[in-house]
Amino acid sequence: MGVTQPAHDSIVGRVVATEHLPASPHQFFFWSATETDVGIGAIVRVDGKRDRVVFAVVIDGKAYSDLSEPMHDVIAAHGDPASQDGATERREIRLWTAAVLRQMPEEPLQPVPLSTVTLASSDDVKLALRMESYVDGENSTAIPVGIYAAGGLRAPVYLDADFLLGPESAHLNITGVSGLATKTSAVEFFLACLFARFPAAKGRVAAVCFNVKGADLCFIDQPGELTESDLEAYETLGIEPRPFESARYFAPFKSDGVNLNTLRSHPDLISTVEPLVWGLREVLDYNEVLLNRDDLDAKAAAFIDFLRDRVVEKEFRDEWGNRHRVTTFADLDRLFRAIFDGLEAQGRSDTWRTHHIATIRKVRNRLINISVRCKGLVTDDGVSNDIPFGEFKDRDFYVIDVAGMDQLAQDLVFTRVVSQLREHLERRDLGVEHVVVFVDELNKYAPADGPDTYVRKMLLDIAERGRYLGLVLFSAQQFRSQVHRRIVGNAGTSAFGRMEMDELATPGYQVLSPATKIKLATLPKGEIMVRHPHFTQPVFLRFPRPPVLGGPAGLAKFPPAADVPMEEAVIAQLGSLDPKLERRAIRDAIAGRAEDDVRRALLATRRAAPDHVLKYFSKALGPKVQRGVADESRAGVAKLQSMQDPYAT
Amino acid sequence: MTGVDRLNDGGPFDRARRVREILSETGTLGSGGAMTGVPPSPDNAFEDVVPVEGDVVRSRAVQTHAIIPGDVGFCDGVQRFAVEGWVGVCPVIRAHVSAAVLLRKDRLLEPVVHRAQDFIVAPLDALGASVTERIREVGLPLFDTGPATRRHPTLDVRRAVQVIHGQRSELERAVAGEFRARFSDAWIVLDGGLRGYENFPGNDRLLGVIKSHETQYLAGADLNVALTLPAEHRTTVFERRSGDAGVHSWYLRLWDWEGHDLLYGLLRLERQPVHDISAEADCVSGWILAERVPLAGRSRRWDRFLYPIHQVEAYLNARTGAWA
Repeated sequence: MGVTQPAHDSIVGRVVATEHLPASPHQFFFWSATETDVGIGAIVRVDGKRDRVVFAVVIDGKAYSDLSEPMHDVIAAHGDPASQDGATERREIRLWTAAVLRQMPEEPLQPVPLSTVTLASSDDVKLALRMESYVDGENSTAIPVGIYAAGGLRAPVYLDADFLLGPESAHLNITGVSGLATKTSAVEFFLACLFARFPAAKGRVAAVCFNVKGADLCFIDQPGELTESDLEAYETLGIEPRPFESARYFAPFKSDGVNLNTLRSHPDLISTVEPLVWGLREVLDYNEVLLNRDDLDAKAAAFIDFLRDRVVEKEFRDEWGNRHRVTTFADLDRLFRAIFDGLEAQGRSDTWRTHHIATIRKVRNRLINISVRCKGLVTDDGVSNDIPFGEFKDRDFYVIDVAGMDQLAQDLVFTRVVSQLREHLERRDLGVEHVVVFVDELNKYAPADGPDTYVRKMLLDIAERGRYLGLVLFSAQQFRSQVHRRIVGNAGTSAFGRMEMDELATPGYQVLSPATKIKLATLPKGEIMVRHPHFTQPVFLRFPRPPVLGGPAGLAKFPPAADVPMEEAVIAQLGSLDPKLERRAIRDAIAGRAEDDVRRALLATRRAAPDHVLKYFSKALGPKVQRGVADESRAGVAKLQSMQDPYAT
Repeated sequence: MTGVDRLNDGGPFDRARRVREILSETGTLGSGGAMTGVPPSPDNAFEDVVPVEGDVVRSRAVQTHAIIPGDVGFCDGVQRFAVEGWVGVCPVIRAHVSAAVLLRKDRLLEPVVHRAQDFIVAPLDALGASVTERIREVGLPLFDTGPATRRHPTLDVRRAVQVIHGQRSELERAVAGEFRARFSDAWIVLDGGLRGYENFPGNDRLLGVIKSHETQYLAGADLNVALTLPAEHRTTVFERRSGDAGVHSWYLRLWDWEGHDLLYGLLRLERQPVHDISAEADCVSGWILAERVPLAGRSRRWDRFLYPIHQVEAYLNARTGAWA
């Protein structure tokens, strides 16, 4: 791509260099008129001799007059700040500092020529950010990220998919204060752009997003309200603003086992939320997440490994002639009881298959307790319902709503989902070649300090190895300084929304100029600063509202439904599978049945989505067991006739 | 352009180099350089004046709420010189003078006229015909310091400075004339007196502002009044002779002098004679008092320096650059 000459009337400044403010190959100073379109973040170009062109971004600005000391102004005004302006306007200077983005030609690398400065054109922006290598041509890997806007220019800016999803570099990290619609909106917009423009030649892509708070991601299949300027921005970027209509939602049950633990519970939407239910096998593989170091000493770990390898989902015969097939927590508890009973019957023995009974009791307590602590997600004896790993399709969008779960259950969900994604990607059988995983509140899940949790290790693993697998982490947090350095450091692309000055004062932001920090601290909604491997300096960009319904707007349009009793929940959920079902028929089917049985049957029916819903549901419930009438003659052990109480006197 | 190119482009640097080469070839005593100071001026002159606003010079308070003219041109000039070498003990001086007018319109200053000149000044009779001819061939105007009954390097430099000063004054008159031709209704404020402007077109809108008081016009009680003026006071007007015509003049104190020297904040203003000089002096004095804001704080003489005049100097210095 050739460099075109700027028009003479577009000159806005002139490079100056003194002994104290010299021009260098990476930074220079220029002055402009006091009334100018130049501002912090503006991209400028300097044309030297022999077709040498330097592109730079303005990172700082100073204004001062020829007043040598403030006292002179006081003297002139006779000490009265309200005194009239002088007869002559004092001379001022706007002195800008610019950081070099690119020099053309690249060699020899020399100080910036002392020449005129112009604002960049659209073509200049493309060259300055080195975008021409991936924007133009048939094999374009350009993903729109926002609009550069300065001096009346609106130029689209693109990221390189090879550097966003790998293999060159990968991952995206977003920092910004909460409540300014920066982080979530930006991610939704980036994903919309990614899905719209990710080149087919690079493979298939899907996204898995964890909704960790409120209803942030609960309505991404619904169209959001866009203004005229938003629509113009989408047009500039060449993107059709469409919600993720095929998004699939997963949420665990609440502790009642029938109401889903999500804010997307409006009657019009609840049928599109699938329950996320895991059983023993799903949990046992990730016991390290749920059990802390005190729980999981070497002996306990060895016993759990034994259970996993030799017992769970296998035919297992104990020493006392019992046969076990452990597939649920209830089965596991039965096994433990059999072991304890057997050991008790044996007498003095306190070990079973080299495992001490105390270890067995400890493991039993911890494991059985999991289903209590993660009630709603982990079922004691029900059927699991999982994300369809292995059946992912191109542009699939999964939202896993963990906002209502406690920390432990959230950790389990993160770890297992991401681990499953990684394993399937390693085996190349996930269904897509690239998966974007979005995790918000990263400083909570991967803090810079604090215990080395399994979740943090898993996130580190994605950050460091994910790009080779196609597993890409889009993460967000309020305080980047509080996130593990290797996670944010491995993010090839970083975006920054409005930030607190306290955060900007931390060492990680020392490379930014004071003016850039001030701009970051005062960024309006919809503006971000982006770092990308192709950009040698961060650039400020604007992005439109995402094409989806945001959390607060979604809650206003689809207010969550109140929890319903078991019977109503079953009627509603089966009714959503077959609207012709009569309430009375469902009520009759569940009358007198144990709640656990009803929950299990309901989950099985939802998962199967059969043609004959009630028939399937009834079969899943099993035959009704009638309570027998007790025989008078077998009314239990006869009371003791009498007993002398030795302590009575 | 490289540094080498710059020394061979026929411009001021190139010509200075060639003058040095000529002097070197003709057996000079060494090369010179830019001079930072002007040799002492001749003995301070005294001029007689005639009071025209009353019989004696008195002090008058000035109203500070003045009407400031709309378009005003501020005119000033600068000079640089360097001894390029010596022929015997006679200096050969290369000089640069420049002058400009900055137009103030709506409180903003804008340079509208600028001129510059480089030339050589030397005692030609001491140089000899061949050296003079060779220097002329360089292409810079050559001025004579004039005949002297007695040659001495210090006196020769002083005479050369007078020539340079004259050239600068002439250039200032030229730019002022050019400005007048373009802006016939505008006022012109000169840095210095009105000597030489007797027949200047539109000189009813011409004001001379003198901040150095080398020529003394008052004596005795009149001098006491002038040098002890309170702030925001002026003397009554007196007339000095300038050629065949008279020029009206008065002192004006911008800032309170107590705690400083007697000349602190003291200006002398010059105007062509007008009908009601008393009202005119009040009006113009009020205007100049208003020019105290903004303060020309960058100058050591900020107590007397009008900011726009200071800006003309800054402009000329910037245009002249590191002259040598």
